[in-house]
Amino acid sequence: MIVLALDTAGAACRAALFDATAGRLLAVAGEEIGKGHAEHLLGFIDMALDSAGRELDAVDRIAVAVGPGSFTGIRVGVAAARGFGLALDRPVVGISTLSTLAFSARANSGSQEVLAVIDGRREDLFCQSFAADGTPSSRPELWPLPKAREHFAGYRGAIIGSGAALLAGLPDAVSGRITPDPVDIAALVQLGALADPQEAPARPLYLRGPDAKPQEGFAVARAQDSRAQGGETGDGEGQTP
Amino acid sequence: MTAAAANTLPHQRREGESLVLGIETSCDETAASVVARGPDGVGRILSDVVLSQIAEHSAYGGVVPEIAARAHVEALDGLIKAALAEAGTRLDVVDAVAATAGPGLIGGLLVGLMTGKAIARAAGKPLYAINHLEGHALTARLTDRLAFPYLMLLVSGGHTQLVLVKGVGDYERWGTTIDDALGEAFDKTAKLLGLPYPGGPAVESAARHGDPDRFSFPRPLVGEARLDFSFSGLKTAVRQAAQAIAPVSDQDVADICASFQKAITRTLKDRIGRGLGRYRQLAADLPEAALVVAGGVAANSAIRQMLQALCAEHGVRFVAPPIKLCTDNAAMIAWAGAERLALDLAADPLSVSPRSRWPLDAQAEAVIGYGKRGAKA
Repeated sequence: MIVLALDTAGAACRAALFDATAGRLLAVAGEEIGKGHAEHLLGFIDMALDSAGRELDAVDRIAVAVGPGSFTGIRVGVAAARGFGLALDRPVVGISTLSTLAFSARANSGSQEVLAVIDGRREDLFCQSFAADGTPSSRPELWPLPKAREHFAGYRGAIIGSGAALLAGLPDAVSGRITPDPVDIAALVQLGALADPQEAPARPLYLRGPDAKPQEGFAVARAQDSRAQGGETGDGEGQTP
Repeated sequence: MTAAAANTLPHQRREGESLVLGIETSCDETAASVVARGPDGVGRILSDVVLSQIAEHSAYGGVVPEIAARAHVEALDGLIKAALAEAGTRLDVVDAVAATAGPGLIGGLLVGLMTGKAIARAAGKPLYAINHLEGHALTARLTDRLAFPYLMLLVSGGHTQLVLVKGVGDYERWGTTIDDALGEAFDKTAKLLGLPYPGGPAVESAARHGDPDRFSFPRPLVGEARLDFSFSGLKTAVRQAAQAIAPVSDQDVADICASFQKAITRTLKDRIGRGLGRYRQLAADLPEAALVVAGGVAANSAIRQMLQALCAEHGVRFVAPPIKLCTDNAAMIAWAGAERLALDLAADPLSVSPRSRWPLDAQAEAVIGYGKRGAKA
């Protein structure tokens, strides 16, 4: 099985090809571009295909990093991955950036319990814990910093990621200072090969609301006899988009 | 291809027709469509699927960009599948992919354009990055087979423009708003009066029971030779009038809406009347001189009636495509792609960027009031 992996969730924009049957990474293309993911992604995919000597038709599945990360970046990758999935009629799986962190830690240091922590950059942390065999032992969640410290106090496994120092309360750790964790594309592509498409849909994992509040206090006061808001108006003749 | 798709033959394609898949995600409608264009220039809409996000945005009284972008990415691939299925076709027989690349909300544009790029690359088809305004401008050729040049009035929540459509990719902007778009003025008036979103239908409905002469609202730029529009002063006047008599009764709301709509209609009449005069001079011997209206505000019947009468006065045909094709849709994007394909215009590279601001007329000078970032509407 050939897996095409796309990562646009952070500063990097990368594409990788993995031969899951042979367990071999065929090609990685891309770089830390900061911005311009939408412009560069298709070019990096072609570079990866060229250097692997494969055609796009040879891809059996697409894996994409779904976050947490940059909202816009995540959507660039997810939209492209789902477009490829539709046009090639191949499954698309979504892989969280927290699980790629945990996977890399296990690959580097062997089986152990891992807490993946990403700096949310607003005095908060994206956290998810994983058992020694790599399966998640908690759901990915966004924690305010003090609550995270309270909740994970006494955690016995390894703590990894850009938010690790913040969680530990190290003296020079300040939220937002650290660049977001780069996704390990090799971890992404291997997790992508293992994931069950039914259980890992390619949907953005924002873990944060859209930051919009209903605007109040804008309308003028209505008299008592006023009909209920939205009652008899709006006859459906049309709309102003 | 799935078994079901493989058994579906492209039975709807006629001799010599080209098929284009269109994708539209520039604001709060997620849309996909397949359109056919014959060698004689006759177009047919084979499918036109639109998912409106009105419910998601109504609590905010307007479109929230992040909410819109989130909704687009969840729905778009499913809508494209539905559009292909409804058209009875497959990506491998489609001739090109057309996706809106601007102007609009950047988060939504990115979703549609990236999906379009991936599909074009995987299916080996040319990609056309379409200007949303061009989609509106060319719709009348799909619905009414209009010949160039014709005049287009685009009035929506994001745009208010009077454009001379001279050819595919050849547009002359005659007038634009120097501040708010007309649809935005309707939405803000509705929001002020506690009417639901979107404001157009709500204000029109309330206006039916109101006295259009109770309030005298300003009619900005009326009498001026240039063909621009302005609606922010009107918005302020409506707010001040409402606050002066608050708390407002149902009758007050109806009267404000009726007076607001009258001011809008009179302003448009002056501006468009001048535009038609200029067009008539230029197109004195055109057998098929026409004014096309597009955008959601085209649904307003008071505005429609005024435009109809005005066109009759100037001896110009009034063309109003069906409301479904006046508001945002992907059929117009597919059609713009089909027109480009028919002229052998170059496809766009897969590195093409979305553009939140993208004037239809590249030569048009910025109008005072636009602010640093260029034309808002």
